[in-house]
Amino acid sequence: MTLTRSLSTLLAAAACTAFLASAAPAADPIKIGVPVGLSGANSVVAPSVVQSAQLAVDEINAKGGVLGRQLALEVADDASGAAGAQKAFDSLVFQKKVDVLISMETSAARNAGLPIVTRGKLPYIYTSFYEGKSCSPFLYVNAWVPEQQVPPIVDYFAKEKKASKFFLIGSDYAFGRGMLAFTKAYVEKIGGKVLGEEYLPMDGSDWTPIISKLKGAAPDALITSTAGGAPNVTLTKQLRAAGVTLPYGNLAVDEGTAKGMGADAEGIYLSASYVTGIDSPANKAFLAAMQKKFGTELKTPNDLSVPEYEAVYAYKAAVEKAGGTDATKVLKALAEISVEGPRGKIAMSKQHHAPLTMYLGQVQADGGVRVIKSFANVDPGEQCPNLKN
Amino acid sequence: MITLVLDIVTTAAILFIVSAGLLVVFGVMKIINFAHASFITIGAYTALVASRFGLPPVLAPAVAFLVGGLIGAAAERIVVRQLYGRPLDAILATWGLSIVIGQLVTLGFGREVQFVPAPVSGTLAIFSEDYSSYRLLLVVAAFVIAGLFTMLLNGTRLGLSTRAVIMNENLAQGLGIDSTRVRLITFGIGCGLAAIAGALITPLASVDPNMGLSWLIGAFMLVMISGGSLPTLGLSCLVLGGLQVLASTFISPILGGLTIAVLAAVALRLRPEGFARA
Repeated sequence: MTLTRSLSTLLAAAACTAFLASAAPAADPIKIGVPVGLSGANSVVAPSVVQSAQLAVDEINAKGGVLGRQLALEVADDASGAAGAQKAFDSLVFQKKVDVLISMETSAARNAGLPIVTRGKLPYIYTSFYEGKSCSPFLYVNAWVPEQQVPPIVDYFAKEKKASKFFLIGSDYAFGRGMLAFTKAYVEKIGGKVLGEEYLPMDGSDWTPIISKLKGAAPDALITSTAGGAPNVTLTKQLRAAGVTLPYGNLAVDEGTAKGMGADAEGIYLSASYVTGIDSPANKAFLAAMQKKFGTELKTPNDLSVPEYEAVYAYKAAVEKAGGTDATKVLKALAEISVEGPRGKIAMSKQHHAPLTMYLGQVQADGGVRVIKSFANVDPGEQCPNLKN
Repeated sequence: MITLVLDIVTTAAILFIVSAGLLVVFGVMKIINFAHASFITIGAYTALVASRFGLPPVLAPAVAFLVGGLIGAAAERIVVRQLYGRPLDAILATWGLSIVIGQLVTLGFGREVQFVPAPVSGTLAIFSEDYSSYRLLLVVAAFVIAGLFTMLLNGTRLGLSTRAVIMNENLAQGLGIDSTRVRLITFGIGCGLAAIAGALITPLASVDPNMGLSWLIGAFMLVMISGGSLPTLGLSCLVLGGLQVLASTFISPILGGLTIAVLAAVALRLRPEGFARA
């Protein structure tokens, strides 16, 4: 008796749940997971990344969402490292049950998150520039790799500044060494010579012996790739204090840091896929919308935050093309779609990476960046030859 | 060659400036102030605030000394005083204090890297070599700090009491010297010196909440092997700083970063009491 009754209650409950479940999808939002370094090394840039994602989601929702569904953001702190990323990805993928991951993170965090994304079989759009060659059927990248960033600076120095002897200085970590290893190979490929390649540990702050070596070697040009933030600032200040006036290409500086450094940053060359000075209607509209939404809270949009904005639109386009959020179909569609954003038209069509228009800029006396030259559709090269598209 | 010599001298001067405050506290109180790095940071942020208020950069170290000294004295009253008999606990407590200060600085100023303009810029020609004038200025600053401190220790009543406390605290107390007050003032001066160091190195470095940390281990090692005397500290800075520059120049800067720690460990193995009373 009791058994039958409880069974029937159970069945009724199950029926209710089934009914709820079938009625829900129309109202259920599509969840976008954003694991990002709110604490740790990336904490300076992370707020601008989150703002970009918020603007994109708000704009899309205001226009009716994606296939009639609203977008919702789930932001999680990955503490800029591997251990934090495992927790963040785990909770986003298996507890919050997000439909996609879109984020700018450190390479350590990306590498720690990828196996979890693979287990959850979700699309993951990585929006940070990085050292390249991270390949997974679930991973798409819409930011630059060394093959896209380095050649504009080296070519400009070689052609316009008649530089043939280069000196390289970096921080001793994967990105610093990776960038300079590529730079060295590229300089030698175009017939130049690398006179020295020097590294200081990440927490080091006295560059004196390296600067003395640089002055002793008397190169034509200098290219640096330090960790962002403090090491970059100390190196630049000490270079200027030592009277170094060589053509100076900095692979790690962004507009915000350059502005803060004041006079010391003047004359530095940088290469990026986004600078605020891009003269296009899409960029102007984007900057105006950011200003309107965040006002005084606005973190200056940059080369790490703008790809996040575009990636949300890329995901929207892929879902619309796939006709739903089914991961396999979306992953296939991501390679085929393109979006028009502040950086121009972006398609992640080359082995899950994107050909990008790169800008060579020079820091001015007022801290602004003047675009000297742009290089349209620079190819990311052979990043993942084993992936089909 | 001239550049190398200048590199060694200026590096030694910076190391001396950074470790002087730690030495003062260690010499008198026989405790290691692990919050030293935070007081360097406090000095740097004081210089930052001073420059925002439009104070001339020359005054920044003086203001930093005041701010660092006052906060240091307060910390002594609240945290350190209870732990004089327990040097190991004092290390932990000052380490905790440094975490608290670091977080407060982060709350107040944010995590981002900030900038203080240098009072002098450009280079000076020395024997036909262009060399950073600010680094040369730091050599002068190191001598000024050493000079002032020697004067304070040898030429004033406070210095006399301090030396008495260093030599034999019980006897000093018996003679009516208020050793608690001496300790309070010494800790304040030590923290003030750390803050001066922070204000002095900022034009060469960035200002961020963790900036002091990279100097702590080097300063700690130098103070340990110098065994508590100012002239020996100067000598250790010159020898170990010199070897660091040589290793960085001729082998690799990454190895250079290890020089002081490794050599100091070896030196302490051979001579655990340091080199002061040789």
